[in-house]
Amino acid sequence: MISAGNDIVALTAINAARTKQPEFYSKILSPAEKSLYQAPLPEAVPFEIFVWLLWSVKESAYKFLQRHNPALLFTPVKFEVKELHFPTGFTINNFNVGEIEAVGFADDFAIKSTLRFGEYTLYSRSLIYNELLLSTVNDNDSFDDVYWGIKAIDNADNEIQSATVRDFSLNRLKELGFKNPVISKNGHGVPVLMEGGEEIKIPVSLSHHDYWVAYAFSLNKAE
Amino acid sequence: MTRQEILTELKKVISPYTTNKEMLADINENTDLIRDLKINSANLVDIIIDAEAKYNIEIDYDAADKMMNVGTCIDVISERLK
Repeated sequence: MISAGNDIVALTAINAARTKQPEFYSKILSPAEKSLYQAPLPEAVPFEIFVWLLWSVKESAYKFLQRHNPALLFTPVKFEVKELHFPTGFTINNFNVGEIEAVGFADDFAIKSTLRFGEYTLYSRSLIYNELLLSTVNDNDSFDDVYWGIKAIDNADNEIQSATVRDFSLNRLKELGFKNPVISKNGHGVPVLMEGGEEIKIPVSLSHHDYWVAYAFSLNKAE
Repeated sequence: MTRQEILTELKKVISPYTTNKEMLADINENTDLIRDLKINSANLVDIIIDAEAKYNIEIDYDAADKMMNVGTCIDVISERLK
């Protein structure tokens, strides 16, 4: 499927106490997903971050599928994470830099999951820092052609978030050889990449939360 | 409660999660929570939990996924107030 889906969560903006309340997390996690939180995971990852990790995987999956099914509704518990694998010796560190851009995800760094929604099986890679977590979803378990970036911003105004994440992803596309790419949104709110007035069939996913923005796109999915 | 009364109260529930206060003042049943009010999706569960507490109702996930615009929020709340 030609699509992309990512989601960034500012961990400094979440309400940890509320997230840990069953009435809150039960709207995000199924009982089976809650059982994924078992030893030794709790030693490295607080429960509230586990909840938001699964949220971001689910939201990314929703964005991946919604591009082709505009009427799709986001019901977190219906997007079910079946497997979750953390790298050996996983620890959470500070982000420390203003931005990161890369292609693919290193096995010793990224959290992997397999998720199901109805007939679909999707795969994710996630990164967790003390300040934020990021997830990206694909419909196969290879992310070698997935370009992504995370950037800190100094103004959390919605218009600035939107403009910054567009510029951030467009600059990357220019580095890759696109001369004058533009991102607009279609009637269903899905980002569409354009150049010279024509749509380029490269799916781009944009995300922002608080003082963080992130993009993901897959070049090899171009038609 | 009438739909208008629910809408008036719903504004108070939504208010902490939007910086677009101008749009909030003028919301109608077609106002989209994410696209129009620029509410981050990470706050949608907060809004559902706050609505449950405010109206003393329970909103299960099948209903929660419909709460994407003001009109459907009012539908879900009014059904549970009956």
